Amino acid sequence: MRPVVVTGLGTLSSPGAGEECLAAALRNGVPITGEVDRSEGLHGPHFARTACLLPRDVMDPWLSTRQARRMSPASRMAVVAAAMAVKDAGMEEGSFAGDEAAVALGTAFGSTSFTYKLLKQIRDEGALAVSPFLFMETVANAHAGQVALAHSATGANFTISQREASGLLALCRGADLVRHGRSSRVLAGAVDEVSPIQHAALAAYRALARDAMGVERAQVFGANRSGFLVAEGATIWMLEDEQAARGRGAPLRARIAAIVRANDCTAEATDWGVGHQHLGSQLRAGLARQGIDLDSIDRVVSGASGALRGDRLEGLTLISAFGAKALPPILCPKAVTGEYGGGFLAAALMALDGVDWRLARTLGEVDPNIDLRPHGGESMGPAQRVLVTSLATGGAGCWLVLERSD
Amino acid sequence: MATLTQLVITGLGVVSPFGAGVEVLWEALLAGETAIRTLSLFDTGVHRTSIAAQVPGVRAGLIRRSSKGGHLDRVTRTDQFALTAAREAMGTAKLLPGSSEMARAGLFFGSSTGGMLEAESIVMAAGLGHGKYSHVGGQAECAPANALAREVGIGGPAETIASACSASTMAFEAAFMSLTSGEVSLALVGGSDGLCELTYAGFNSLRAVDSCPARPFRQDREGLSIGEGSGVLVIESLEHALDRGVEPLAVLAGTGTSCDAHHMTAPHPEGRGAWRAMTQALGAQVGASSTVDFVNTHGTGTPHNDLSEGRALKRLLGDRLAQVPVTATKGSVGHLLGACGALEAVVTVLCLQHRRLPPVPGAGPLDPEVEIDLCLGQPRELTSCRSALSVNLAFGGANAAIHLGRYEGKSE
Repeated sequence: MRPVVVTGLGTLSSPGAGEECLAAALRNGVPITGEVDRSEGLHGPHFARTACLLPRDVMDPWLSTRQARRMSPASRMAVVAAAMAVKDAGMEEGSFAGDEAAVALGTAFGSTSFTYKLLKQIRDEGALAVSPFLFMETVANAHAGQVALAHSATGANFTISQREASGLLALCRGADLVRHGRSSRVLAGAVDEVSPIQHAALAAYRALARDAMGVERAQVFGANRSGFLVAEGATIWMLEDEQAARGRGAPLRARIAAIVRANDCTAEATDWGVGHQHLGSQLRAGLARQGIDLDSIDRVVSGASGALRGDRLEGLTLISAFGAKALPPILCPKAVTGEYGGGFLAAALMALDGVDWRLARTLGEVDPNIDLRPHGGESMGPAQRVLVTSLATGGAGCWLVLERSD
Repeated sequence: MATLTQLVITGLGVVSPFGAGVEVLWEALLAGETAIRTLSLFDTGVHRTSIAAQVPGVRAGLIRRSSKGGHLDRVTRTDQFALTAAREAMGTAKLLPGSSEMARAGLFFGSSTGGMLEAESIVMAAGLGHGKYSHVGGQAECAPANALAREVGIGGPAETIASACSASTMAFEAAFMSLTSGEVSLALVGGSDGLCELTYAGFNSLRAVDSCPARPFRQDREGLSIGEGSGVLVIESLEHALDRGVEPLAVLAGTGTSCDAHHMTAPHPEGRGAWRAMTQALGAQVGASSTVDFVNTHGTGTPHNDLSEGRALKRLLGDRLAQVPVTATKGSVGHLLGACGALEAVVTVLCLQHRRLPPVPGAGPLDPEVEIDLCLGQPRELTSCRSALSVNLAFGGANAAIHLGRYEGKSE
């Protein structure tokens, strides 16, 4: 199979557009959150109030009003992050296009704001009043379609929706397209928006971090964690066939060394399961099959988010996979980036180059039942290999190993 | 003749608007019946049209059921379709839920609505009660796959493709890559989608729904008919199937995907992307289409889709266009959206097995601009039946095709 490299990154998250904003937030160790609109009355009195929301106007330099007019918020984010990734990969405008150019995006929820608007149109104005434009953008693959349109990408076009693992699964499927010779370049990543209905529903499920000392914070692996911070945004990597990338003199940010996917069938539809031993053995066996020694992994970028059962499953899975081997430092960027929207995937790529994040600020006391201490904030230089993890409610699990390409 | 490393299909299961079961579907298709009738699942009085292909006998609403672990679990109507279809497919393939085989298997599934019918009820109901949010959990596109993975004990990858009407056809491509790379030795591939007001009103808003049952490739066609149901197939290498003592039903020879990058809802007028997906499914080899003896088209019945697809077929098959018969399952069962590719793959396998092509119901002259040999009236006996294409096209310009071959035994 063909080797795959990462040559570009585009990211939009609550700190702003681009890596530098995100890096600054990670250094500070404090998530940037805002109040979710509760004017619709969808929230109960004790529901979570905040989320990691994109700054207003952050997409304006990248997207004209005319372009944005016919897109959902999530589609706009995807198109902007894709444009950033193309630029970061050193490609001229228009050069991504063609039959070898693919798009693989993951979204946990799609455009919930448009879905809600459309349903309200049916309810309040009647089915005949439904806007075809709204309907078009309620489809989960609208974001991938808009990215393909913006870049004339006529290769494969995948959208994966597998809750919290959607983004990493899409990256892996995008890498598969290159590995199997189906495409030579892929824009792959995650996108999600935060809408009041989605926020209220997650809060109703008690999935979101609740108020502690006047602030909602995701205490990842913390003993007193109460849930995660929901986030919106988009993160897209440019994946390329290594030979082609080297041929055009592309910046090589990382190589994809291994992909492992598994399912925990103890999980219910909206919760994490308890199958850490199965997931751990699948991870260990999958890495071994691809020639990756666990000792060669020098840091883990964990998908743990502050979820009560999710963090437990994540921690016990890592402990199970590594067995008697010492765990490498565990980084937990979702304490800052929030869950969904792919900020964590941007952080994963950045972690390969070095880390000076102060994530410990958000952690509090570590959960003694997991027995896993996340990285405490000391600076770390570049890594050789980073394991990126993502476990989802419903049971899906996905892991990816990034390594230096130099 | 298949080689040991070639992928074969060893199990089929469906829930169609004719009811549950492959045999029920096949007999209805051969009889030229249509399941597109007056819709009773919700009040259509407020909509522009009133027909659809509804699965009979399955009520709306979350069903509480006992899961493997002994606790109560909730499944949506769409989940139920998937579970029923999978049970049949696994039965054909001699697979047991919770077996060690399933612990190593992958699940590649397509859906576009998930449990939207149950979820939309919380918005549709006047006065949103916070307790009703439990209905939202089933809405996700991945809900049917999650329910199925839990039910049968999938331990390998579980992945939901949410690429609208190409979703479950793209699931074949994901499975193909995972099987040929050795990531899994066996895969459940399929899709499940259910009717809901959101898609019903949405397609009507696009003026894409025919007020009569869909008439694919007819001159007077006015649009699609929305349907619902599920299709599930078991795929493994021939070697793996023979080791298990299972007789293959057909060969999965190739898969292809592409994007039009032309318009969000309209297909490329010349069918460029559809042609590319079909070509890729055939291995992008010159002359590969010469082994294709019939095509199960996307054939929605919308004016744009059928014309575009016809042009793609003309480009692919060239002079053979008039000799390669074509069918369009959606004329009988409606458009199952994210599940249509899986159900139509099941039908294509049945055609290969039985060397027969079901007719497309309905009347009226064929569109003279689409120069295909549409199977009409009676089932067509296929004198040559080596391989077939099954094609699906979607919003966002996402196209997918699979190339299926008749299983003629193992080559030495």
